Amino acid sequence: MNNLDRQIEQLKRCEILPEPEVRLLCLKARELLIEEGNVVYVDSPATICGDIHGQFFDLLELFKVGGWCPETKYIFMGDFVDRGFYSVETFLLLLAFKVRYPDRITLIRGNHESRQITQVYGFYDECTRKYGSASVWRYCCDVFDYLALGAIVDGRVFCVHGGLSPTIQYLDAIRAIDRKMEVPHDGGMCDLLWSDPDEIVGWGMSPRGAGFLFGSDVVRTFCHSNDLDLIARAHQLAMEGYKLMFDRRIVTVWSAPNYCYRCGNVASILDLDEDLRQEYKVFHHAPPDPRSVPAKRPPAEYFL
Amino acid sequence: MDVPSTSTALPPHNVDESATSKSISIHGWKITTVSTSISNAAELDSLQAEVDLTLPEMTFGNNSVTLAHAASGWTYAFDARGALGEVCNKELSPGDGGVKVGYAEDWAKTRTDPDSTSPVSAMIVAKPYDWTYTTMYAGHASKSKPKWQAADPEDPSQSIPMSTLTRPDPILYYAATQLFEDELHDNGTSTYMVRVRVMPTCFFLLARFSLRVDNVLFRQHDTRIFHEFSSDLLIRETAGWEVPYATIRARLPNPDDRAPLTDTQWVAGILNEMPTRVTQNNRSGASTGWRGLMRRIEIMRLDHDK
Repeated sequence: MNNLDRQIEQLKRCEILPEPEVRLLCLKARELLIEEGNVVYVDSPATICGDIHGQFFDLLELFKVGGWCPETKYIFMGDFVDRGFYSVETFLLLLAFKVRYPDRITLIRGNHESRQITQVYGFYDECTRKYGSASVWRYCCDVFDYLALGAIVDGRVFCVHGGLSPTIQYLDAIRAIDRKMEVPHDGGMCDLLWSDPDEIVGWGMSPRGAGFLFGSDVVRTFCHSNDLDLIARAHQLAMEGYKLMFDRRIVTVWSAPNYCYRCGNVASILDLDEDLRQEYKVFHHAPPDPRSVPAKRPPAEYFL
Repeated sequence: MDVPSTSTALPPHNVDESATSKSISIHGWKITTVSTSISNAAELDSLQAEVDLTLPEMTFGNNSVTLAHAASGWTYAFDARGALGEVCNKELSPGDGGVKVGYAEDWAKTRTDPDSTSPVSAMIVAKPYDWTYTTMYAGHASKSKPKWQAADPEDPSQSIPMSTLTRPDPILYYAATQLFEDELHDNGTSTYMVRVRVMPTCFFLLARFSLRVDNVLFRQHDTRIFHEFSSDLLIRETAGWEVPYATIRARLPNPDDRAPLTDTQWVAGILNEMPTRVTQNNRSGASTGWRGLMRRIEIMRLDHDK
């Protein structure tokens, strides 16, 4: 068994790799990813997955339902890390698959694959807790900068983490982006990772003061201009695991069941066959593993 | 199992527990807490139509705490519909305490409105509402009477007795539930939690709205309800706090570890330690002009003939 296969077996058992091995794995991954375009071409059949958020044991459920890599070809649409308890194991397993079977798995960047966001939402904290230093977090962040921004299946299904951008009418405009950097607060790259579809007409600004919302007319035009059947995106929780909108031209795929270990939602993956027929495979969260939830603080019964 | 020595003094009571609900019947009261999954798509659509607002990502539309007093037929409840019904669902006005995300200026300065050449700052906000879900919801009653009235500040029996609540009385019932949570598109957290505990002589409820907007502010609104079973009096205290983000961040034990900032109980503890002239004064706070910065105590007498 070669070293990479051993690492994959180890990660499948939810065991972390030693720091020097993580460093090498991340270096190899970067060498591969640097050769990938901003939008990766994928041939059908393929299985499209949404947010995972460090829910490692639920990722194992996903593979049970969808089949293991490399037997099944996967596209993961980002947000591998943060919030769940096993961001390290989750991201390293996906990355090891990527290095071992580069043509059988595509990893797209989500808004959580960023230095700033991971410092607040758990991945940084988890790395320093599990390794005693921030080096592994740094290696992983360097990989984040090289992840693709989108994928396209048979030229007909566009996959992206968040959504569209008013600065991007054609997929070619994505190819022109220099992506190898921290997720910026502005420009098309930021929009692809952050924007959301909404029941509005045209483009709108989020009431938060940053971020775009886009309506069904924007989706219709984009699909028409780029000859697309469907836009698959993640980024937003869907209780039923997926949510089709705008005459089935756009779908949100959500792959973190019982999100944050308490939402009680189901998750799904989107299976596209050779004719791009869509099958949404819904799955539930893993049975509670003794390791899956770290000891909680005792309930503050005597609250005031 | 050891039986606590106080057990002989415990009043008759009955606790019922299922997978999603927990209730206690005691002294003519029935207190029920429901804690289950977030709402499904159909439930969300109906709630959204009702409150006319983009709902929080995690909306627990079926969760609730209900205090029901059999003799008077009076019930008081906390639920997501009530909490979200008090969130501003249109253009914000002075007093609503509206804020933008920390990097809003950075985001806007490089952009132009996609439908014209004007800067994005002139662009119309899609469906304006308070995206922080700030609510001063203090629960709602099943009927309009009796009414809450201002407590007499001179009468100590008309305020929540901390000495009773800090006494280590046996807790016959404890439950907590969440009405909503939103991560503000990774710009912080907005959440509403309700906790309740029942002791042999009284019950106590705490409903708390907590808000963190990264690099902008912390805000909190609490509702406390206390009742001594031997009296006909209910006491309700409501209060709001607000401070700039940096003020709480400066209190971190280790400046590199920002995790405590995501712990609403830790933040509440800090807010509580700080002087109210900093945290509850309209001219201080986080300078948003939010009307919730105050503290109010009210009472209500239960009516025994239905």
